[in-house]
Amino acid sequence: MELDDIKAIVELMAKHNLSEFKVESDSMHLCLKRESADKGIIQQIAVPAGVTMAAPVAPQVQPATAAAPAGAAAPGNDENKVTIDAPIVGTFYRSASPDTEAFAKVGDKVDPDSVICIIEAMKVMNEIKAEKSGIIKEILVENAQSVEYGCPLFVIE
Amino acid sequence: MFEKILIANRGEIALRVIRACKDLGVKSVLVYSEADAQSLPVLLADEAVCIGPAPSSESYLNYKQILSAAEICDVDAIHPGYGFLSENADFARICNSCNIEFIGPTPEQIISMGDKAPAKKKMIEAGVPVTPGSDGLVADVKEAQKIAEKLGYPVIVKATAGGGGKGMRIAHNNASLVKGYHAAQAESQNAFGNGDLYVEKYIERPRHIEFQILADKHGNVIHLGERDCSIQRRHQKLLEETQSPVLTPKLRAAMGAAAVKAAKGVGYSSVGTVEFILCEDGKFYFMEMNTRIQVEHPITEELTGVDLVKAQIRSAAGEKLTIRQKDVVFRGHAIECRINAEDPYNNFSPRPGVVELFIPPGGIGVRVDSHVYSGYKIPPNYDSMIAKLIVHGNTREEAIARCRRALDEFHISGPGIKTTIPILKYILGREDFATGKYDTSYIEKIFDKFLATSE
Repeated sequence: MELDDIKAIVELMAKHNLSEFKVESDSMHLCLKRESADKGIIQQIAVPAGVTMAAPVAPQVQPATAAAPAGAAAPGNDENKVTIDAPIVGTFYRSASPDTEAFAKVGDKVDPDSVICIIEAMKVMNEIKAEKSGIIKEILVENAQSVEYGCPLFVIE
Repeated sequence: MFEKILIANRGEIALRVIRACKDLGVKSVLVYSEADAQSLPVLLADEAVCIGPAPSSESYLNYKQILSAAEICDVDAIHPGYGFLSENADFARICNSCNIEFIGPTPEQIISMGDKAPAKKKMIEAGVPVTPGSDGLVADVKEAQKIAEKLGYPVIVKATAGGGGKGMRIAHNNASLVKGYHAAQAESQNAFGNGDLYVEKYIERPRHIEFQILADKHGNVIHLGERDCSIQRRHQKLLEETQSPVLTPKLRAAMGAAAVKAAKGVGYSSVGTVEFILCEDGKFYFMEMNTRIQVEHPITEELTGVDLVKAQIRSAAGEKLTIRQKDVVFRGHAIECRINAEDPYNNFSPRPGVVELFIPPGGIGVRVDSHVYSGYKIPPNYDSMIAKLIVHGNTREEAIARCRRALDEFHISGPGIKTTIPILKYILGREDFATGKYDTSYIEKIFDKFLATSE
């Protein structure tokens, strides 16, 4: 499968408003998913299953849940969602203190400067800004959970 | 013993430390950048925390993120590996103030050995021979000239904050000294933010011999023999061996004792390496002390049977050294080849990419320390070393033959992937290497002949 072939398929999908295309053969597996117009179309192109030297298949290694510290969130399984991710490592808190209101609840409208949560790192309470505009659809982590860099915190639309 | 250690490094050394932790029954936490999410050490560590994007400054050098990860994972010690923060006194100090043990030297030792001119002074005080040169920093080029004339040309102008070959210029006469002085100063100011210089006699055709030190927090210090690291290209080591083909037992004992004196002189309590230059006439001089575990530590492990990383961790945990100097045995000969993802036929330019097929050699006396596996993508953001091949033999001849055979077996391929295996094979096949007659100018001398060989 050449890049030109893939481009042609992508155009066809857009033209006919198709959302998913899969093709499998002995040497290749291709899956294209399409979602809202302003996101990238190509989501997943699998590594070719065979190597020219008749050698064992290159394993597709997944870090899996072993790669997260105990208590860190499992990332949302649908890659199509837009998320706000942790920019630092630390402990996630939904509000400034146990008795104050949460910064962001489901349904809240946020803009780039809105403070949406606190991540405590080394005893410093860092206010985390949304950096994006939209409406909070889902909260992916629990209060007082440990988060690593890049951990998805909120789903935003 | 520690319950949990955080490893603030990546690649083969992260894997090495994880293995030592597992052998000790200690839990391991690895911090990693997004570029290393698929790396082998991330999969093998008990816990792994992503601390930032690919650039080192935002991940492996970002101590806020590292300490945050240490906090959420509740670790009691941090192992810094080599490079990155391993000789960063600020980081060591912050770890200590957070009650996290920094597995390595104290911040004061890092500072005193990190700056070369004051390190030399300390060695003189400890009675360790140093290269004849200026008494500390030179104030200006006039002073440098006076000292050069007293020492006799050739001399070398060196930056006190220098490293990796930067900030040094050799001068054979007054004119080149003036030129070299200003060039070294500018280079050092740019690279390290410090343009201070000192002058030394330049030793021609030196050999680089370093001694492995092992110490504990109870004042015990021993050495585990030398490593001959003279095969270098632009001050980067390609191949190391032990025992050095030119050291007599008497010279070994003298240099070893000097290394121990140097370490004791700074109250050293971890693993470290004392580097010497060895002249053709058998005189040796202290060059510098590295206060970390080094890349080439495995050859000392194969020679002596001592697991240096475990010993380092035990020492940091406060345990007393169980080996005394007279217990140390040197058995056979060991060679290490550093394999980089670089094209030796094209000025060693880096060749990162996907390693489709990685088949390491095996058999008796063959060890491969590597984080690479078939299908692994070498990220372009870090150094290009992808594997270390360590070979042991009962004699130097057996080790060389085994090494050549292992390099022949070693298969590393992928789109655009090139390695330095060809030049390593070439060196090991040469007569002058077989006789052990080489010095730090070796690569320069044979390089054109190497280029003439077909791939």
